[in-house]
Amino acid sequence: MITLWMRGLLRRRPGRLLAAAAGIAVAVALLASLGAFLAHSQATMTDRAVRGVGIDWQVQVQPGTDATIITDTVQNTTGVAGSATVGFGTSSGLSAVTGGSTQTTGSAVVLGIPADYRALFPTELRTLAGADTGVLLAQQTAANLHAAPGDTITIGRSGLAPVPVTVAGVIDLPQADSLFQQVGAPIGAQRTAPPDNVLLLPTDQWQQLFDPLAAARPDLVSTQIHVQLDHQLPADPAAAYTDVTAAAHNFEAATTGGAIVGNNLGAALDAARADAAYAQVLFLFLGLPGAVLAALLTATIASSGAARRRSEQALLRARGATATQLTRLAGAEAAVTGLAGAVLGLAGAALVGQIAFGTASFGSTPTAAIGWAAASAAVGLAIAAATILLPARRDLRRATVTSGRATVALLRYPAWARYGLDGILLILAGLVFIATSGNNYQLVLAPEGVPTIAVSYWALAGPALLWIGAGLLTWRVADLLLGRGRPVLRRALHPLTGGLAGPVAAGMSRQRRPLTRAIVLLTLAIAFAASTATFNATYAQQAEADAQLTNGADVTITQAPGTPVPAGQLGAIGMVLGVRAVEPVQHRFAYIGTDLQDLYGVRPGTITTATALQDTYFSGGTATGLMSTLAAQPDSILVSAETVKDYQLQVGDQINLRLVDGRTNQLTTVPFHYVGVVSEFPTAPKDSFFVANSAYVAAQTGNDTTGAFLVDTGGQNTSAVAQELRTLLGPTATVTDITTTRQTIGSSLTAVDLTGLTRVELAFALVLAAAAGGLVLGLGLAERRRTFAIATALGANRRHLRGMISSDAVVLAVLGLTAGAVAGAVLSVMLVKVLTGVFDPPPSAIAVPWGYLGIVLAITVLALAAVTAAATRTSTRPAIGVLREL
Amino acid sequence: MSGPANDSSALTELVNCERVAHTYGRGVTAVVAVHDVTCRVLPGTRVAITGPSGSGKSTLLHLMAGLETVTTGALSWPGLGGHPLEHPGRVGIVFQGPSLLPALNAVENVAFPLQLANTGDHEAKELAMDALRRLGITDLAGKLPQEMSGGQAQRVAVARVIAAGPALILADEPTGQLDHHAAGLVMDVLLQAADELGAGLVVSTHDPLIAARLPETWTMRDGRMLSPTPATTGSGARS
Repeated sequence: MITLWMRGLLRRRPGRLLAAAAGIAVAVALLASLGAFLAHSQATMTDRAVRGVGIDWQVQVQPGTDATIITDTVQNTTGVAGSATVGFGTSSGLSAVTGGSTQTTGSAVVLGIPADYRALFPTELRTLAGADTGVLLAQQTAANLHAAPGDTITIGRSGLAPVPVTVAGVIDLPQADSLFQQVGAPIGAQRTAPPDNVLLLPTDQWQQLFDPLAAARPDLVSTQIHVQLDHQLPADPAAAYTDVTAAAHNFEAATTGGAIVGNNLGAALDAARADAAYAQVLFLFLGLPGAVLAALLTATIASSGAARRRSEQALLRARGATATQLTRLAGAEAAVTGLAGAVLGLAGAALVGQIAFGTASFGSTPTAAIGWAAASAAVGLAIAAATILLPARRDLRRATVTSGRATVALLRYPAWARYGLDGILLILAGLVFIATSGNNYQLVLAPEGVPTIAVSYWALAGPALLWIGAGLLTWRVADLLLGRGRPVLRRALHPLTGGLAGPVAAGMSRQRRPLTRAIVLLTLAIAFAASTATFNATYAQQAEADAQLTNGADVTITQAPGTPVPAGQLGAIGMVLGVRAVEPVQHRFAYIGTDLQDLYGVRPGTITTATALQDTYFSGGTATGLMSTLAAQPDSILVSAETVKDYQLQVGDQINLRLVDGRTNQLTTVPFHYVGVVSEFPTAPKDSFFVANSAYVAAQTGNDTTGAFLVDTGGQNTSAVAQELRTLLGPTATVTDITTTRQTIGSSLTAVDLTGLTRVELAFALVLAAAAGGLVLGLGLAERRRTFAIATALGANRRHLRGMISSDAVVLAVLGLTAGAVAGAVLSVMLVKVLTGVFDPPPSAIAVPWGYLGIVLAITVLALAAVTAAATRTSTRPAIGVLREL
Repeated sequence: MSGPANDSSALTELVNCERVAHTYGRGVTAVVAVHDVTCRVLPGTRVAITGPSGSGKSTLLHLMAGLETVTTGALSWPGLGGHPLEHPGRVGIVFQGPSLLPALNAVENVAFPLQLANTGDHEAKELAMDALRRLGITDLAGKLPQEMSGGQAQRVAVARVIAAGPALILADEPTGQLDHHAAGLVMDVLLQAADELGAGLVVSTHDPLIAARLPETWTMRDGRMLSPTPATTGSGARS
């Protein structure tokens, strides 16, 4: 009987079965595609975490242990690609005599590094001036001592005679946070900042100077072995973390307490592991509405044939079929539809994954891949059961044979509507939003200096509740408009239907539930498309802003300290092909009290010609407003929030900073007035800094040296322009471009390229919006073929039929698109707000992808128009033939 | 076989069938439902078409209503001013099965053909209520088809036909699903309406009692007209 029934269904209603299977396939494909994306993004996160670590392990040799034994153990450890022994000595201070005056620093760290250190750890040292080898002075120390390559400085040693050395080069230590970590110290006991004064010596020279100190004061000297691993790691950050951590523990056990591992790679992977777990939730959260929507679409497709199914059930029951037999028939239909949908969906997802992410796998490990595929298929089968089997069982329990043959369903108000669930959900969404949109998402710095994100998963409940509440509210409003609003509806439909407005409105009102469901579905689809597209566009906008903040502009030229900028260089840079604007920026160090901070001198009137300033970088005014203030009041200054707090500053307060005077080479006091807070600025570090008017700084210090040039290329050919500028400016200038910077910034989460996911989600959203409009309308109209046939038999002509059919389409389009636009706008704002921490920097304005939204609108309207045209054409078939078929 | 062309031929035929045939399907599955039938219906005609199931009664009625097209032969409606579907309300048809619009109540169903013919909302509903009143079923005015019995629905369908004041009433087994009492009531109404409107009335039926209430009977078998009985009303048929 089941085989006979299924054959009949396949023969008589293949379109409806295929449509239901397609709905299930969309849900399965969307979920499985998310799995493919996660597999891809997790591998990206692992790769990014590994690439971001300069020294994989810092092995701290314990006092009393022979460093050579530990070195041997390191070299014999599986997975070690290379190692270098580094001496750490503490100097009582460095001093230098320059320009007739003596500068002395406080305590300094002197490192002894082997000759091959740079080759093994290329990201640890960056030469700013002078030679790559020999005695190397850190940038800030060079500034403190006013020292340059060729100068002599003196290294103080506790209890021993100071020794002079000649500076060969000035360097930057990009990973100073992790380099100077206290290996083995518990979280919270780490230093808050790397040492201010750092000097690097070749190993031999260091040993000559610090071996005597080690004998006298062993507490001031230590040895680390820096280790580079071979990075043969699993793609999943969690699995990679487990591997690396286990290897570190194994190594520590092998040294029997002689060494402690500072596991930088493990720390980075730990952060990536946490980010990966969050990414899984986030991307599921972004994609899940699509899967729910596909399930609702399937339910609507299945329920559009509900009247006929009830009628068939009634006939079968009247002829003696039992409830069990009817349940089996429905179960068979659900199983066939669900399996077909699952197979189609998984195949589709594999194809999508291959095209969008370059992988047809649904997980980063075989277990994860099988899990994702099985879970997606199970969801497909569950949707089939929920939309086909359950309604059939419900009808069997509740419906009589007579009621089963009714074509206009009794309109009961559902329980959720009676109890106001829509309002409750929307209020809850608002409350969760208020509670969670404050400060739960902040980029924080882990002890090892790896950026990570602190998150509140609970915040995701706000948009979820809003989405569901908006859907239910749309149902209520549409039901009200189509029910009690029938007189208004009749008047509104008059231009379409003429004299038939009354009966068309009456029919629409009495059969409003399918139309209401279609309106809700279209609303949710539009809201999903709009909010997903807006989130993704804002994410892309902020990723670009982040890259620009880090790099400064499309191309940034940084001058080595102490290197004079030749006259006319600004003009020369501006002449390079592809350069649209150039802006000089001063970079100084300024003392506020005893704190040394970076100071950036800018030309406030023109800086925005070369780089973008967002309002979120500042507080106390907009970007434009504060730049105007800097221009109008040249002694005004922007200060970091931390400094404002530490020094209890009020707007208008005078701040006296000490800067090096270019004429005397001595620190001179320069008065400024505090006008606002700056938290981010192009090229500036994440910690405290100042922004001031460059003309004022130059006048007060007698020094107009430019520290950097910001170059705008309009975003075009940045790498080529950067290369051209390198050729022009020579080795004293460091030229970086935004394209390269994009590859290296951010935490592992913000570094995930959402492009693939965006393409997939937006394509699914488009399909769902078109299907929610066109397919659902078409199926609803197909169910009313008998009505149109009777109307034709009574004399309705093509114009009458077109009016009747297009009325449904117009009501669906107007209500669905309007409600969808409103829900989408609110949802977008909420989504961007609660996920602010994902953006770095936080967006000052939401990026609205008008082009994509226009395409969604056009495709939806086209789908509705096409269905209307097709239904009108079909309805003009000879009425008797249709009535006979039905 | 032919019917005599008597004095009734001076009237304009409502329907004129000249050797019409209608075939369903094509090739080996083709079924000839109506074969070479010639007949005409004049104003005032009262005719029953009888015959076994599948004899072509319904198809002939549908051809007369313009709901099917002839495969061969010629079909015209000189007394109606043209094809019935281009002149809504000139031909009223009562179908064998349920034919009410499911989402409209009785009065809206009855008013629908009037609104198709551009009668205003208010007037259409008044005419519809008149028709329901004439059939004594005003109590059904606000009911949906699914809330009516088969007999009630069929009487509403008859009301829908007479409300439009057609020149020709075609009824396809109008009493097929009704008991004798209800069938009698429906026939009473059809005959009374046809008399009042001066309309032609063609009823297809299995029921000899129903056929006996009409002065003229055409008998069909296998798509052919077997026994035309020309009546004084001037209709005629031959096959």
